[in-house]
Amino acid sequence: MPTTYKVLFIALLIVVVGIMSIYSSTYQKGTGQWQQQIIWLLLGLLCFLFFSNFNYRRFWDITYFLYCLAIFLLLLVFVLGSVRLGAQRWLKVAWFNLQPSELSKLILVIFLARYFSRKSIDDVGLSSRRFGLWQGLILPLIFISVPVALIIEQPDLGSGVMILLIFICMLYVTQLRLRYILIFLALAVSVTPIFWHFLRDYQKDRLMVFLNPNIDPLGAGYTLIQSKIAIGSGAILGKGWLSGTQSQLHFLPESHTDFIFSTFAEEWGFAGGAVLILLYYFIIREGFLIAARTTDHFGRLLGLGISLMLGLQVFVNISMTLGLMPIVGLPLPLMSYGGSSIVVTFISLGILVNIDRRRAVF
Amino acid sequence: MRPKVIGFVVILGFAFLLLNLLNFQVIRGREFRRLSDKNCIRILAQDGSRGRILDRNGLVLVTSEISYDLMIFAKSFDNLDSCFWAAAKILETDSKILKTRFKNGYLGAFAPVAVAKNLTLKQAIALEELKMSYPQITVQPHPVRLYTYGRLAAHIIGYLNEIDRWRLTRLEDYGYNTKDIVGFGGVEENYDYYLRQEEGGLSVEVDHRARPVRTLGFKPPKNGKDIELTLDLKIQKIIEEALQGQRGCVVVMQPQTGEILGLASFPNFNPSVFVKRDIPAIRELFRNPEAPLVNRAISSAFPAGSVFKVVVAAAGLETGRLSAAKTFYCSGAMRIGRAEFACWEKHDAQNLVNAMAHSCNIFFYNTGLLAGAKTLHDYAVKFGFAHACGIDLPYETTGFIPSPLWRKVSRMKNWFDGDTANLAIGQGEVLVSPLQIARMMAVFANNGYLVRPYIVKAVDGRDISLYQRKAVRLPIKEATLNYVREGLRGVIAFSDGTASILSVLPISAAGKTGTAQAPPGLSHGWFAGFFPFKNPKFVICVFLERGGAGYYASIVAKQIIERMIQEGLV
Repeated sequence: MPTTYKVLFIALLIVVVGIMSIYSSTYQKGTGQWQQQIIWLLLGLLCFLFFSNFNYRRFWDITYFLYCLAIFLLLLVFVLGSVRLGAQRWLKVAWFNLQPSELSKLILVIFLARYFSRKSIDDVGLSSRRFGLWQGLILPLIFISVPVALIIEQPDLGSGVMILLIFICMLYVTQLRLRYILIFLALAVSVTPIFWHFLRDYQKDRLMVFLNPNIDPLGAGYTLIQSKIAIGSGAILGKGWLSGTQSQLHFLPESHTDFIFSTFAEEWGFAGGAVLILLYYFIIREGFLIAARTTDHFGRLLGLGISLMLGLQVFVNISMTLGLMPIVGLPLPLMSYGGSSIVVTFISLGILVNIDRRRAVF
Repeated sequence: MRPKVIGFVVILGFAFLLLNLLNFQVIRGREFRRLSDKNCIRILAQDGSRGRILDRNGLVLVTSEISYDLMIFAKSFDNLDSCFWAAAKILETDSKILKTRFKNGYLGAFAPVAVAKNLTLKQAIALEELKMSYPQITVQPHPVRLYTYGRLAAHIIGYLNEIDRWRLTRLEDYGYNTKDIVGFGGVEENYDYYLRQEEGGLSVEVDHRARPVRTLGFKPPKNGKDIELTLDLKIQKIIEEALQGQRGCVVVMQPQTGEILGLASFPNFNPSVFVKRDIPAIRELFRNPEAPLVNRAISSAFPAGSVFKVVVAAAGLETGRLSAAKTFYCSGAMRIGRAEFACWEKHDAQNLVNAMAHSCNIFFYNTGLLAGAKTLHDYAVKFGFAHACGIDLPYETTGFIPSPLWRKVSRMKNWFDGDTANLAIGQGEVLVSPLQIARMMAVFANNGYLVRPYIVKAVDGRDISLYQRKAVRLPIKEATLNYVREGLRGVIAFSDGTASILSVLPISAAGKTGTAQAPPGLSHGWFAGFFPFKNPKFVICVFLERGGAGYYASIVAKQIIERMIQEGLV
């Protein structure tokens, strides 16, 4: 089976499972979020179709424009953004609630891929291998920090940290000297205590709760405890679709968005959860294979970046529902309810597929 | 190279997720399933009624009556105020009171809140009619302990109260929980496991705001088992009336089997104050220096006084140190060691029967000295003293009988002949409970059997007397029993016997009085005996705490026996 269909098939499978879980978790309320999600899916498929036929090399040319677009949208959020759940993350565009931080993730991946695949005039090899501290670390870090600072200020710590994590991974795969990466990590660790003071109270609570969920079982720890109960009580075969007591009786907050995995694992058990994790693994593996096959540096870095972005989001989200990581507001790609996440993920997959198609051109 | 490392890291990451999922769902799945059930299942308890307590003829001593509570089952707070207003009009109270009670008791939308208790039937019906317009209203019947005869047999019944920490630690394994109502004292405590009702109820699935979603099941509550006592209510009434106003107790027992026919202790208490939660009255019961909650017949030990002479006589005859013909001369006093030991009168020459009838101290000093302190102690133990009788009521005392060995070991003092003399008339360190005296007296009424007294005849209609321990034949000669019996008869039959006032009764009785000195204060009065003499059907022990001489106790005994004859019970 051609890679395009393979990726599309797995993605559709996950989205369908996601829509079923959204249907289940909103079943008692009777709200039509699952229908909404189908519309997002259709929109996502259109984007997939478009970007899988849109030559990704053109991104090379418009990278700085995209970067400026991301900054512009993020700034716009502060001016026009609607406040929901205590955060200003969304831009109302007609009937569409756009979340610019989702889009920024992808744009920054493109930006980093472009930045690190520059070639010098006298050498066909990558110039990033010979980058000094300034070019290899500090300059891209400055570029990255502007949108990250804007995102964290929304506040959306999850997306901000996610971009930093992607940045570290990209630094690693760009053949940058290992010592620079270590310097960056050491710097990040030493800055953390100062960073603590800039966190919002609820973010501090979440971190404290991550260390010990029982300090505030009805407050900040509630979601985590209920999520663990939901997943654990699913046992091997689960409680069955529409029969998960934790999600059906609303013990689990955010059961159709960030904690969709808990809803799914409660109703489908280990059998379902393990299959879902494997599906995610397969789609990410496809991304890595595409990146390995391509000869174009920009394509390879872009493919790796997109795969890593997906993998990190899946890993962080599922770890968070299991209490292995602090709770941050991150959707599970393809599963969680939300237009921005679905559409951006399908755009990323479209780009990924396109990299594989263009490989013969050069 | 580096992309490969990253690919490997991704595999590791996903394997890590899978392993954790395995841990959560497969290994710890059951634990989380339980937590999830706890989240969404609530039990709406419904109480059964506690078992009844009946007398031997099936008359109901304690039962449960239905009491009505007004419950508000509010799934939302709509028109709750007007509902309180309407209910308050029927109950003739202020609706604000109902409202505050509702607020204080509100647990969640799943649970009804009791806002008024102990409604009259009229109010209950009126409220039930109100339900048409206010569906929140529920009139909940629930059983309340009812003591048909008030204070009667209060010590045998015991009372009900919330379980305390000490009982909870002991009873946790038997399914008891905090806030359970359990028996304290008497049959209520000893047979609590049988009397106790089993809670049933609805199990309801609730959502995150504790609103009921659906009913999962219903378990009907189980009533407790009825307990039938050996007690005869008529006898119980007679002895309580005869004792009225005096501190002390009476035990009436069947001598062959050990069935307790009547057992009263004064001062007593009204067990219903605990049901009504009448706090000042309860506090008064616990603070009262006369200890009305203590069952004096089994839980208190007193000096035995002359009643103990029966044991001394039996010990003397059994060991051969005494014979029926042997006489001692009573000059009113005798010198033992350096001290002068007095008799309460000058009796001249006394044989066994005379000495018992007159309760001559000199005779028993001599008998005691001949037999020796150790023999007296051993025989007292044979007759069941210094051990609990094993009656099926809680908090029985063992009493105490001193011996030379005990004195040596625990007091580091020597035993003197004077102590033997004191022991021989039941004074000194001797402590016995009235039930032990009744049991000792039963040995002479039933030809030498030491019975085990019991009070519960049947549980749930099944006769359990077969499971009670059998009476034990004491190794005492027939002749000894007959001599002592003759002496006991003499106490009443002789015109100068200490309990001769009982001779006017139309039946022949036998017994022994006792006046136990316990300075400071008045002496304790004892009378223990059995009747009819030829074919004894009843053993009686009357004890008057600080009631003066044994004579007063024999007057109470006379009243009781007279009334029993009048009622045709003998």
